[in-house]
Amino acid sequence: MSEMTDTAETDKTNKPVETKEITKAVETENADRDISGNCLTIENFSITLGDFKAENLNLKIGAGEYCIIIGPTGAGKTILLESIAGIHRLKSGKIYLHGRDITDIPPEHRGIGIVYQDYMLFPHMTIGDNIAFGLKHRGVSREERERQTAEIAGKLGIGHLLGRYPQTLSGGEKQRAAIARAIILKPKVLLLDEPLSALDNTTRENLRRELKKLHSEMNTTIIHITHHFEDIYSLADRVVVMREGSIIQCGSVEEIVRKPDTRFIADFTGMENIYAGICTPLSNGTCEIDINGLKLYAVSERRGDVNVGIRPEELIISKEKLASSARNSVCGEVIKITDNGIFSKIAVAEEKSGVIFTAALTKQGIESMNVSTGDKVYLTFKATAVHVF
Amino acid sequence: MTIQNKHYFSAFKLLCIGTALAAVIGLIVIFTGMLLYPSLDDLISCLLSEELRFAITLSIVTALISTFLCAIVAIPSAYSMTRFDFFGKEAANILLNLPLSLPPLVAGIALLIFFSPVLSPVGGLLAAMGINVVYTTTAIVIAQFFVNTPYMIRSLRSSFAMVNPRYEHTARTLGCSEWNTFVQVTLPMAKSGLIAGIVITWSKAMGEFGAVLMFAGAIAMKTETLPMALFINMTTGDIEKSVAAAIILLIISAVVLVAVEHWGKETGVEYV
Repeated sequence: MSEMTDTAETDKTNKPVETKEITKAVETENADRDISGNCLTIENFSITLGDFKAENLNLKIGAGEYCIIIGPTGAGKTILLESIAGIHRLKSGKIYLHGRDITDIPPEHRGIGIVYQDYMLFPHMTIGDNIAFGLKHRGVSREERERQTAEIAGKLGIGHLLGRYPQTLSGGEKQRAAIARAIILKPKVLLLDEPLSALDNTTRENLRRELKKLHSEMNTTIIHITHHFEDIYSLADRVVVMREGSIIQCGSVEEIVRKPDTRFIADFTGMENIYAGICTPLSNGTCEIDINGLKLYAVSERRGDVNVGIRPEELIISKEKLASSARNSVCGEVIKITDNGIFSKIAVAEEKSGVIFTAALTKQGIESMNVSTGDKVYLTFKATAVHVF
Repeated sequence: MTIQNKHYFSAFKLLCIGTALAAVIGLIVIFTGMLLYPSLDDLISCLLSEELRFAITLSIVTALISTFLCAIVAIPSAYSMTRFDFFGKEAANILLNLPLSLPPLVAGIALLIFFSPVLSPVGGLLAAMGINVVYTTTAIVIAQFFVNTPYMIRSLRSSFAMVNPRYEHTARTLGCSEWNTFVQVTLPMAKSGLIAGIVITWSKAMGEFGAVLMFAGAIAMKTETLPMALFINMTTGDIEKSVAAAIILLIISAVVLVAVEHWGKETGVEYV
């Protein structure tokens, strides 16, 4: 188990470089649980479905990895997921699972599970029968089915609901049942299509923790589509960003959050301070960026028109000018304080250029600083916090 | 000044509701008139007459067989129309709507010509093999089947469309084959709509007149279904027997209506 976790860790830091030979060698040793290297390889994936089109998409996902896919509606996230499951026929391209070509294998023989946002529990079956559905089709005996169903349901906290019908359950209970139904078959890959989106905040929080636990216990490769930024932070080993049928960025959480390739990703990942500016390189790899007359320092070799993003939590807010090694310090007036329950956001308008910065602060932070609208404050941040793209 | 929506007088609203009520009352009065026309003794003796017993049995049996055949064709057809893309799907869709506006008489004469031993090579071939379907009970079944299949496909198509294909996708990933998914997931989930569609088709077959008249003829005690019995006895002036046949058809319609209402409601509630 620990060995597997290590592999996942390695994958995270060094991009997984994997050759088919290694995968095959491992496959002969341990056909189902290939622990080093790629679990899923998608090569030149092309598909046309109605109005949707994807061309030459490539993706490799390491064994045991928790991969999160984000992207706007219509990006083709669900179609990619369903194609991995074998629902849609590819126009061209190949899908390999542990080195084995599964492109033409029907979904029932792939060993890949899927859980949708809307649960898709069969309404004419009890929760118990729903969870045992896959085992029944594998010809598992009745006693064994009941034993395993009870075990997995207990693990997910729905053991008392096995005799009930799906219509009588809450959203969170239904999603637990749907997850139980998928993982009871110990799938090689578990696909989750916005599994937490239909749930209320508390339930989502709980189930997210549960997913994290399941992933580390089972070490299944998980591919999870989400619209929730929190999912990336708490679950992902790797993030894939899709738009209009192609992958526009793929990397670790750190890379995606700090170095978003495009404005869309920056917006999506909550990088609130995004500006257009003109970049002039200085010596030793740094540069000066002119945003509406305001000069900021960043680390980049770009020249000319650029976008600039600064994460709200990178801004240090103070009432007195800080003596710090950070290159950037701006002064402005607090124009708005908004509270979202967990932390507060403070909008500050820079005094000369009028550029608005948003900083994040905890509630206690605001109280101890005693800051309110109209106050003059200083924002300090490092040159490395200014992301140029 | 506030306008109280509930209380102010609306001539428009009154007129609309009044018209609806008048229509319903007209319906009740006219059917009650028919129900009260024969004396109870006459009605019972008509219902027990050999002719009507024959017509009832013939109608029920032919309608059951034709509905069964309709279902065999309509279930896969309707499913493919909702789930798959194939060449000619658009054209098929339009053609399937044609019988909705086409009088069954037209279908009847087309069948008559197709199966006629004299007028068509197919009928000629069948005749050479010693098979003649025109003006037989077989023709009744064929006429009902031919007219009702497009209706049934349309009705089942909407039942299948109500089943989210993701249920099927999920079943497949759980190790269920295409066949098993259809039998164990799709059919049970579309059950209410399927039953309603089948019951309506059966009742339409019981009452099919135009196509049956053209293709199977109105031959007393041979191709005499309930609508034929109504027609034949009317032309010979035996109004009591006509009314008796009409009353049976009316009762069947009423029962079917209640049944469909019941299953229809279930469809709405069960799979939310």
